[in-house]
Amino acid sequence: MTGTEEPRIGVFVCHCGHNIAGTVDVAKVAQTAAGLPNVVFATDEMFMCSDNGQQLIREKIKEHRLNRVVVASCSPRMHEPTFRRVCEEAGLNRYLFEQVNLREHVSWCHMREPEAATAKAIDLVRMSVARAARLETLPVKTVQVTPRTLVVGGGIAGITASLDIADRGFEVVLVERQPRLGGNLINWTHLFPTDETGAEVLEPLINRVRNHDKIKIFTDAEVVAFDGYIGNFQATVRETKTGRESHHDVGAVIVTTGFQSFKPHGYYGYKITPDILTLAELQEMPRSKELRRPSDGQLVKKLAFIGCVGSREPGVKGHEHCSRHCCSAVAKAAADLRARTEEVVILYQDVRTYGKGHEEFHRLARSRRVIYSKFPERDKPKVTLEDGRITIRWHDVLADEDLILQPDMLVLASAMVPPDTADEVAKLFSLTRSSDGFFNPEHIKLAPLTTHTAGIMIAGAAQAAKNAHEAAIDASGAAAKAVGLMARGEVEIESTVAHVNPDLCSSCHTCVTACPYHAISMDTSRTPEVALVTEAKCHGCGTCAAGCPSGAIMMRHSTTDQILAMVEAYLCPPPAAQEVRAQ
Amino acid sequence: MTKDKTSQKSALVIGGGVAGMQASLDIASQGYRVYLVEKQTSIGGRMAALDKTFPTLDCSACILTPRLSEVARHPNIELLTYSEVESVKGKAGKFRVTVRRKARYVDEDKCSGCGDCSRECPVEVPNEFDEGLGFRKAIYIPFPQATPNVYAIDRERCIQCKRCQKTCERGAIDFEMTDQIVELQVGAIIVATGYKLFDVSQYPRLGYGKYTNVITAMEYERLINAAGPTQGHLIRLSDGRVPKNIAFIQCVGARDVAKGVPYCSRVCCMYGIKNAVMAREHDPEARVTVYYADIRAFGKGFEEFYEMAKTRFGVDFVKGRVGELSENPHNQNLVMSVENILTGKVSEREHDLVVICPGLQPPEGLDTIANALGLERSIDGYLNVEDRFAAPVETLVPGVFTCGCADGPKDIPDSVTAGSAAAMKATIILAVGGVA
Repeated sequence: MTGTEEPRIGVFVCHCGHNIAGTVDVAKVAQTAAGLPNVVFATDEMFMCSDNGQQLIREKIKEHRLNRVVVASCSPRMHEPTFRRVCEEAGLNRYLFEQVNLREHVSWCHMREPEAATAKAIDLVRMSVARAARLETLPVKTVQVTPRTLVVGGGIAGITASLDIADRGFEVVLVERQPRLGGNLINWTHLFPTDETGAEVLEPLINRVRNHDKIKIFTDAEVVAFDGYIGNFQATVRETKTGRESHHDVGAVIVTTGFQSFKPHGYYGYKITPDILTLAELQEMPRSKELRRPSDGQLVKKLAFIGCVGSREPGVKGHEHCSRHCCSAVAKAAADLRARTEEVVILYQDVRTYGKGHEEFHRLARSRRVIYSKFPERDKPKVTLEDGRITIRWHDVLADEDLILQPDMLVLASAMVPPDTADEVAKLFSLTRSSDGFFNPEHIKLAPLTTHTAGIMIAGAAQAAKNAHEAAIDASGAAAKAVGLMARGEVEIESTVAHVNPDLCSSCHTCVTACPYHAISMDTSRTPEVALVTEAKCHGCGTCAAGCPSGAIMMRHSTTDQILAMVEAYLCPPPAAQEVRAQ
Repeated sequence: MTKDKTSQKSALVIGGGVAGMQASLDIASQGYRVYLVEKQTSIGGRMAALDKTFPTLDCSACILTPRLSEVARHPNIELLTYSEVESVKGKAGKFRVTVRRKARYVDEDKCSGCGDCSRECPVEVPNEFDEGLGFRKAIYIPFPQATPNVYAIDRERCIQCKRCQKTCERGAIDFEMTDQIVELQVGAIIVATGYKLFDVSQYPRLGYGKYTNVITAMEYERLINAAGPTQGHLIRLSDGRVPKNIAFIQCVGARDVAKGVPYCSRVCCMYGIKNAVMAREHDPEARVTVYYADIRAFGKGFEEFYEMAKTRFGVDFVKGRVGELSENPHNQNLVMSVENILTGKVSEREHDLVVICPGLQPPEGLDTIANALGLERSIDGYLNVEDRFAAPVETLVPGVFTCGCADGPKDIPDSVTAGSAAAMKATIILAVGGVA
């Protein structure tokens, strides 16, 4: 179907169980829709997204020779792809589908006013029907995928992702800012949950990476320029020492830039003596049979830990999140170090030993008579130096007593925070950051490894605070996404993009600067030069069209004609609709 | 749909919950074939029965349903629902798997899911999908978005009146159907068998099964679910009244050595908080208290969600173990004594609804699957992995991988991630034709 014949519109109103039907009179919405211009069929149904609902749409398209479909249900964010596919299965171009959001925009936000909600639902459906009549068929386009992946960051996540992709038979370009691979983990001499050192875990993997003929490694190097779109990215890598730059065409990117350990200056006397250090610093101390304090090499007899240092602080910017790994790491470290000391005390808020085997470490620590003492959420321990000795004063919640401890060494379990470079990385790869400062996944539950920028994945602590075990799983998962793209060899792109009419373009460059996705450049092959849209990079946001002083830019699927039809439908309801509104 | 020459190669995924579905999709998207074996009549697993999901409160069915149809419609995925793995022979690269396809007495190819049969069926029985709170017929689909949308007959409940058979216009109902044995050749296997909830009646002091207004979190999920037995109206089971003072009890069947569940179940704190928030959403007047041991809000956005529950939704959190519950005979409210650990005070409290939040355990049948595959299990019953860092989704049998809760409790994002990771490892085996 071309989308140019007389519109024959079908309207399908969804109950969404009780989600919509509990507030909106869906039967009335469907009845009203049936009387609108060009509508030849309208109904309501329990779940339009279910197999039953989808089958109904396909059947009615055939039965009534529908050439436009309007589904009034939930947000198009989740189900637009579902219904577009249903239309295609029935032989209709996917862009002849239109979705009305009766759930997020109506029933959920007007839950306590069902009549007004129903009236609004009818308005929205009428507007969408008017727009649907003017929808046009658009082509379904694909682009090729370069069979090579760029992995940014060479910690355990980057190493694992690289190995998986290469083992599967695709090429990898692995870029690490530091002079050697291994990230934070390689410096750690005490890991949890195993007794290995970071180097023991990582070295076999690093050797495999180094000897893999499909992996090209750049250490002491940075990605300095990045451009392109899904399947067709171009990255420029600069080696810091030589300044040499190399260019790489890649089809996908995995960002595994990890975390940095928060340096808690101003917290609990950090750095007032070398004997107050962070958990990461403890994990980096050389392995030895005895625990000696950094200041004078004396044996540590009394050891203390304080948890949640710079984590779980609502109101303090960037550190509201839980750093996830510290409770379990502290439990393991305390259990291990108890035998080398006379007393180990852990001051905590909650004990979050959640993972497999973690609770067991917590129990092991307690069974070795490590003392756990809970401090109040709002009244944190105070640390001072008294006669050169570390002195902690706090209120023990369980005993309801004020306590004092003078440990030889104090370990602060400080937060896992995004590295200082996160902002730069975010800009380079068009990633967004969540309130914890780490990168945002596409969907926090069902798409935790992909991002809003198609073709760019995140894994490990780049996404949120995580332990090494979890980072490794993330990495393999992200690798699966990259390989999925490369194995298919091509990927569909959206046709709902900006289009420049070269005859109207005045070469003013307004759109070039307005475009947040760098999707518009000037076509210098023409005289005078005119704006040119790289469709695969365009997100269809319309910023350029709004800014164009010559009206030369048209948004496909959101044309001026289509939008004005909606405005007109809202302002000038047909008589039947007016009656419903007046009731 | 792929140019990969190895597209004839295939993998087996055991379990059609959110982890198994993700694994299947990520293998299939590379052009390999996937056999997805699911014990129940529909894929979807536990997530299909949940109401909202933490920490962003999306409605579970709303985000899961597109996945269900994506899996069902993927040309490279073959769904074997109502089926169980019987035996596995061979090794990585060439496993031979025997699967029993249980008779559903409805022909999958002929059934259109119209539901005429079910409307005609005179037998009504409690629906397991609604935790027995709602009803289904003897010929049924468990929930409206069931995938595949094919009915099945519960022969233990069926009275053989055969009215369904007479009604079905497509002649899909076959009472003579028998179990079928299917032989599959696969290169790699992924175990995604999920979990079961701890049986809270093992704590007699909490009164579950004795007092009507003591319910489990899963029953609560169905009660607040818009597609559930009460259409999302939260009521007390004793009298149908709207509860005004609800208690949530955390860590039941978790972190308890005496009950054989020494580990943390990882999801209960967050689903407990989510349910508490939903109670306030349903009724802003209701008083809501969560009794906890530690609040383990460790994942992305979790601490922020916990903070929001306290500040924006006004949920009351009490650190303390709950003692014995008793029922007030006049109003069926529950009376319990609780020590508030933070204040050291023991007080007697009355709630009109108590929701117990059970921990997770390995599912029924995981031992059988583990034996068939020769997999090692840890003392708590979950599968062991080869190496926590270098091989976190590999089991000790080459070519067999684990994801979701098969190797330990996980929330949805971690299950989905592990599903993708297991798929990655499986496809490496498929690409090279065995263990490299």
